[in-house]
Amino acid sequence: MKKLLVFLSAAGLLAAQDAPPPPATARSRALELAGAFANDGYKIRDGFWAGTLEAGKPQFLQVNLFSGNEYWFSAAALPPDVKMSVTLFDENGRPLAEEVFQDGAAAAAGLVPDASGKYFVRVALLAGDKAGFCLVYSYK
Amino acid sequence: MTKAQVQSAAVSDAITIPSPGEFFAAMGDHGQPNWTQMFVPKTAVSTSSREQMALMLGVLVADGYLAVEAQDGQGVKNTGKEIINLAKKLNVSQSVLGRGNSISDFAENNDWSALREELEATQNEVKLSMVEQKDKDLVIMVTVGAWIRGTQVAAEFISKNYSPGLAGLLRQPAIVEYLLSGLDGLPEKLRGAALIVDVRQKLGAVLALVQTKDRAALAPEAVNELAATMISLVNAISKGEKEP
Repeated sequence: MKKLLVFLSAAGLLAAQDAPPPPATARSRALELAGAFANDGYKIRDGFWAGTLEAGKPQFLQVNLFSGNEYWFSAAALPPDVKMSVTLFDENGRPLAEEVFQDGAAAAAGLVPDASGKYFVRVALLAGDKAGFCLVYSYK
Repeated sequence: MTKAQVQSAAVSDAITIPSPGEFFAAMGDHGQPNWTQMFVPKTAVSTSSREQMALMLGVLVADGYLAVEAQDGQGVKNTGKEIINLAKKLNVSQSVLGRGNSISDFAENNDWSALREELEATQNEVKLSMVEQKDKDLVIMVTVGAWIRGTQVAAEFISKNYSPGLAGLLRQPAIVEYLLSGLDGLPEKLRGAALIVDVRQKLGAVLALVQTKDRAALAPEAVNELAATMISLVNAISKGEKEP
């Protein structure tokens, strides 16, 4: 997972911005980020979670994960000048020590769960007042 | 997280519920399933009951993932055709029907990764079409059908190849609670249909089986019971009107 983070920071997202991009949506940005993980064998789920983030009002989503799989939760927000984060919690709401990636309005968190069951994903605005967001996830 | 945040966390059919493919991938991490042997496809049921058709559609979607794991291109194509034929009977939009060709093309090229995405996209598009046609009550049934079939395949395999690692995958109380809550929210007439009553009753019993303490794996006896319950549910869903 760490190699992947270095790749993302050094080449993936930044290089993609050199070409004129199509009109971006939060979902297309989130998929763009998740696409980097797909290069490492992660399969992207078709489903997504979208909504609006406000400063000081994080949003939480319940997910169900399997031990043995590896997961990345990728999110992006618009407008692009905000800063967001993705954090993971166990079924009791305790924060997990996961791999994280943060690049302005895009963020991701990776986890290899040690037990199958319920987990929570938190998306939050770190800078900015209000933003639309979209979260997707991938597994392998 | 505060207790209130835990209790009020959002749940979304499209992302909170894992795909059968995700479930099968985890099984491969803990054991060595013989997917070819395990892929014994179900055929679409002959029935006029829309709720049974929706449940069966979910079963077929899970079969599609199973065929992908077995890398059985013809099996994927056949299952894809069954899905589309059943979707037609449920009057889903034309856009879904084109998915059948994509499934066939990807299967022709043995593009297993694309097939996993296409199967999930097809399922999501069918559900979206159901919502647009004011058939949103059928959506939860597709989800339930896929989960039942995926769990039946997994539980049967695990009952024959028990290990705590594999059995831990069956510990899914939050999913069962979500499915039960979706079925409980159906209109009374639909909730009272014999098949839905059976499904609700058996999922209620399943919840007790999969709610283990401290995230412990299910015991072998619980796995056997779960497998038997899931087999009986899949049989009930795939039983046609003309069958005894």
